Amino acid sequence: MKLYDYVLSGNCYKIRLLLGFLDLDYEKRPVDFFPGREHKSDAFLKINPLGQIPVLEDGEIRIRDAQAILIYLASRYDKSGEWFPGQSHSQIAEVAQWLAFSDMITSTASAARLHDMLGYNLDIDAARAGAHRLLRVLEDHLAHQEFDGHDWLAGRRPTIADISCFPYVALAEDGGIDLFCYPAILRWIRRFTALDGFHSMPGINVSP
Amino acid sequence: MDTDVSQVGWIPVALNNAVQAGSAIRVIAGTDDIALWRGKDGVAHAWENRCPHRGMRLSYGTVCGNRLRCLYHGWIYDGSGTCVAIPAHPDLTPPQTIKVRTYRCVEAGALIWISDEDNSAPAIDGHWTPCRSLHIEVAMPDLPEILKWTKVNSVRPLSTYAADVALPDQGRLILAVHPMGSKGAMLHCALPASARRDSLLSASHWLGELRSRIEQAAVV
Ligand SMILES: N[C@@H](CCC(=O)N[C@@H](CS)C(=O)NCC(=O)O)C(=O)O
Ligand code: FES
Repeated sequence: MKLYDYVLSGNCYKIRLLLGFLDLDYEKRPVDFFPGREHKSDAFLKINPLGQIPVLEDGEIRIRDAQAILIYLASRYDKSGEWFPGQSHSQIAEVAQWLAFSDMITSTASAARLHDMLGYNLDIDAARAGAHRLLRVLEDHLAHQEFDGHDWLAGRRPTIADISCFPYVALAEDGGIDLFCYPAILRWIRRFTALDGFHSMPGINVSP
Repeated sequence: MDTDVSQVGWIPVALNNAVQAGSAIRVIAGTDDIALWRGKDGVAHAWENRCPHRGMRLSYGTVCGNRLRCLYHGWIYDGSGTCVAIPAHPDLTPPQTIKVRTYRCVEAGALIWISDEDNSAPAIDGHWTPCRSLHIEVAMPDLPEILKWTKVNSVRPLSTYAADVALPDQGRLILAVHPMGSKGAMLHCALPASARRDSLLSASHWLGELRSRIEQAAVV
């Protein structure tokens, strides 16, 4: 298995997280995202015409989009079936809903981070305000899950929904988005970093 | 509103479940930036969020037993805020003068309260359970102002920032507001300890609606 990867990318980190939880061997193919812009090179556009990372290759199969890769890896390699539970239709839909939500976090919180860290030219106020609107939704959901005795986004066990939302929420402060007003999100981050097989990345402050 | 912690008595800065034993979080109270942490013994501490060494936020620190270790160069502070070890100089006993500025910090009514003064902490009867803390984007209206936005049967003030209120639909709860200067405010809500899922959920929705009304009123 080969992952087109950039160490500071939260979307690539989603894949590294699941590969770590599943304890799978893979090869990292570093992409010079910054400053090289290798993801927009002619050679890379043949691999992903969208010019984005991550991309995963597994034998003849090539997949782009972090959420699609998470679904592929979990449904193919997770023998426990817990990371992408397939028993209940409503739970499948719930996971899919949070996967889609996580891509909205990418376009707001991650954009703010690219602005602050790499100097991307974009409307920073709109990016941060958009992120806060999403964080309120996430905060409400996690707090209500706690009332039900549930620690995770889609049920009693962590799933790819949690993996998919985790990176850009936990990295939000790199984009000037304060997290201290979201106590349920902070508790969820702490639980996530305490999971067996969790790996960190630069910018994620891990509680011991 | 610019609130200086030294002039306002006790401020409810968080629900008691916001910071777990062995961890640290950041809270803002008025214009002060504060590290709130619990040792392994569960005791809550509120400190100025600034390491005396190079100013690193202590809320990024690591709790080791009942001490806090700064993330940056690892200086270690005991529960009184006094520096007890400097890793770069293992043989040195740090001078007693290296000390973090601390606040008084107590727990009552499922809330963590901090103060800079010597007056007595709010007395709250009964047992309470944390419900929700919600951020308000706008500068904080005071509690009597907020209570005008909702139907209440009775109000018993607990401090400038909190009241034990009885609501027609939710029953009894503690409502607290906590000013955060330019960062808006937090609304905290606690319920009697007997509260179960349905009452918690219902109070959470009520609090969300209250926030919307406060934010909308501030926009017009
Ligand atoms: N929906 C995609 C978004 C991936 C994405 O935005 N990747 C970033 C790096 S973290 C990227 O390649 N950005 C370049 C671009 O979008 O042009 C996913 O979830 O994988
Ligand atoms: S800044 Fe805290 S130890 Fe140096």
